[in-house]
Amino acid sequence: MTLTYVLAQNLRRSPLRTTLTAVAFALPMGIFVAAISLVAGLREAALANERELRLAVHHRITLTNILPEGMRRKIEALDPQRERLTAVCGMRWFGGRRPNSQNTLTTLAADMDTFPVVYGDVGMTAEEIDAWRKERRAAVVGMNLAEEARLAVGSRFSLESSIPPYLELEFMVIKIMPQDSKASLMYFRRDYLEDALREADFPLSGCNIFWVKCTGAPAMATLQREIDALFANSPNETVTQDENAFISNFVQATGNIPGLIQMISLVVVFIIALIAGNTVMMSFRERVRELAVFKAIGFPSGRILGMVLGESVLLAVSGSLLGVVPVSLGLAIHPVKGLFLGPIGGLKVSPIGVVGALSMAVLIGLAAGIWPALQAWRLRTVDALRAAA
Amino acid sequence: MSLSLVYHWRNLLARRMTTLLTVLVVAAVVATFTWMFSFTLALRKTLAVAGDSEKIIVLRRGSTSEAQSAITVAEFNRLSQIAEIARGDGGALLLSPESLVQVNRPRRRDQGASRANLAVRGVLPVALQVHRNVRLSAGRLFREGVQEVIVGAAAARQFTGLEVGSQIELGFAGDRSYVVVGHFTADGGPLESEIWGYLPTLMNTYNRTQYSSVAVRLTPGTDVPAVLRQIEGPAIQLAGLTEAEYWSSQSRIVNIYLAVAAGLVIVMFIAAVFSVAITMFSAVAGRVREIGMLRTLGFQRSAILSGFVIEALMLSLLGGVLGCGVCAAWLRLAGGEKDVYGTSTFTTLAFDIHLTGWTVLGSLACVVLLAVAGALAPAWRASRVNIITVLREA
Repeated sequence: MTLTYVLAQNLRRSPLRTTLTAVAFALPMGIFVAAISLVAGLREAALANERELRLAVHHRITLTNILPEGMRRKIEALDPQRERLTAVCGMRWFGGRRPNSQNTLTTLAADMDTFPVVYGDVGMTAEEIDAWRKERRAAVVGMNLAEEARLAVGSRFSLESSIPPYLELEFMVIKIMPQDSKASLMYFRRDYLEDALREADFPLSGCNIFWVKCTGAPAMATLQREIDALFANSPNETVTQDENAFISNFVQATGNIPGLIQMISLVVVFIIALIAGNTVMMSFRERVRELAVFKAIGFPSGRILGMVLGESVLLAVSGSLLGVVPVSLGLAIHPVKGLFLGPIGGLKVSPIGVVGALSMAVLIGLAAGIWPALQAWRLRTVDALRAAA
Repeated sequence: MSLSLVYHWRNLLARRMTTLLTVLVVAAVVATFTWMFSFTLALRKTLAVAGDSEKIIVLRRGSTSEAQSAITVAEFNRLSQIAEIARGDGGALLLSPESLVQVNRPRRRDQGASRANLAVRGVLPVALQVHRNVRLSAGRLFREGVQEVIVGAAAARQFTGLEVGSQIELGFAGDRSYVVVGHFTADGGPLESEIWGYLPTLMNTYNRTQYSSVAVRLTPGTDVPAVLRQIEGPAIQLAGLTEAEYWSSQSRIVNIYLAVAAGLVIVMFIAAVFSVAITMFSAVAGRVREIGMLRTLGFQRSAILSGFVIEALMLSLLGGVLGCGVCAAWLRLAGGEKDVYGTSTFTTLAFDIHLTGWTVLGSLACVVLLAVAGALAPAWRASRVNIITVLREA
């Protein structure tokens, strides 16, 4: 009679209870694995951004204020030897919409010369950079956008701006960005936009934001202070933040869904722990006599403790698998997109999520089972047999 | 006859640990559910206020929000063609040209650690007659041509530095100082999250030559769709929306948030139902002899069935009350003030979450549903117990 056999038998003893517990476990575990995957995805995106060492410089009052182009030269002049600062790329919001659609896409016009340098993580090859420089209407499009609009390299498409003067511009795709974090973004050339604005007699020219690529973390810290000091008390006072801080402002604004999911996952863990504890305690109470018999036959107390703990962990893990597997398969086949989840392309199952959820299940199984297991270990055979009889 | 409530209560106490754990599970689910429910109700209430059927918001064609729309003075003048515009005191047409900009203010609830964009609306005094629910609650109205503003009560509550008498910096470079001279209420609607100032002064401060939008009040009983068609027609060529349509389109993001939250809460509810079922099945299994004896004494099957359902109800209601208490405590501690961004306005809509009696009743009603759903199967099994068999297992 092996441990596994005994454990399995115990679970088969009351199939109804086992099923109910498994389902009661599986549902919150499904949520939990999605939540951990989301957290892992966001963490990865944040780390990727940290590696890129970019600072975002925008107007102190509001991001929608236009900053004059000349500010870029002033920022670059802070470090003429290029020891701390590699390049500066100015960007202007376009807010394009597909004709006949109400969805505003994240479309930005970027400085032609420095975009490939500051946004090196986009991974433009030498030919693509060449195409970017040669083609005025060049556009770099994210995966999600390309899928939705069925675009390929070389496709032409037009977007209408949602801000004055409501220009409609035509673009040509020269690259599709493979990264998750850029899946819903589109970049094109700012000189193309400025020319069109000039033709439309729109007086305001400049950028909404300057991206400063730095050489290292200490450089980022000093440059952050220096840039804001440079423009203090001028009509264009700035606020300089690192990329993660900048993005988190937007995530907060759209209802902070990641925050919500994280909060709920805490509640979920709490609930699962309670359900597990409840079930194990109930099953233990019913089996006092049986465990006493085991002891009477000669099973050592340690083995009995192992049996109770083992059953608890087995129940927890099988319940979790019931929840984790369908959710993981579901997310793997069809990742959830477009839920304002932040700088990630979509909610995908991450291996960390699965491992995290299963480890949590084992932990909860252990925690729930430890008290009954200790009681089983300390069980006095004679008393237990007498009481049960 | 039916079993006494004291009997059920004592049964719950007999298995204290199990009862406690199940109560906690229900409490956790109910606390989360009640919070979501209150959030939804608070948001709906705020948006419902902005549902005046005789007020139209006119935007540039193709714009999705006031923040992105620009209307020239010539286009504004064309609006006076509409015959159904109501007239106010002194016969003036109730047409309110408005200019919308934003200012970034620190939130009060985390002592200024986070900031949000508030809408600043330049209006003429006629706006108070067009937006009928806007009333001064403190101080006075701004004087014309002077750098003074009035602040909505919700904005003043949730953001720092907006008390009567304080100064805020407006303008592109934040270099024009405006004084807050009053607060206003708008029945708790979205306008209460805004700052209002004199239109020509604000347009000058922000170097604007065009309006953002025009609010129009129609005479009661007009055919609103016909007026909207006239606005979109060749004579005027602008876009018109009723106020209700405009604000509900702005809450699209929040609806997604709520849908996600609702999905999660439903899953947790199901888990709670199963938890109650497990507890009740185990209770039944442990008391089969007792049930057999009760049947022998003369209690009917229906009494046994309803008895177990009542036990589950007591259990769940305990958890429900505890959960509502936790939610109330959380709202008190973390504050019930929330703000969410409109889908395309880039400015925030502030509202307060309250735990009202109706919310609690609603939650408890769901708890009752939960208890009955979880307890029906075990109670059924209990009522079908074979008396002889269980009594024999002596």
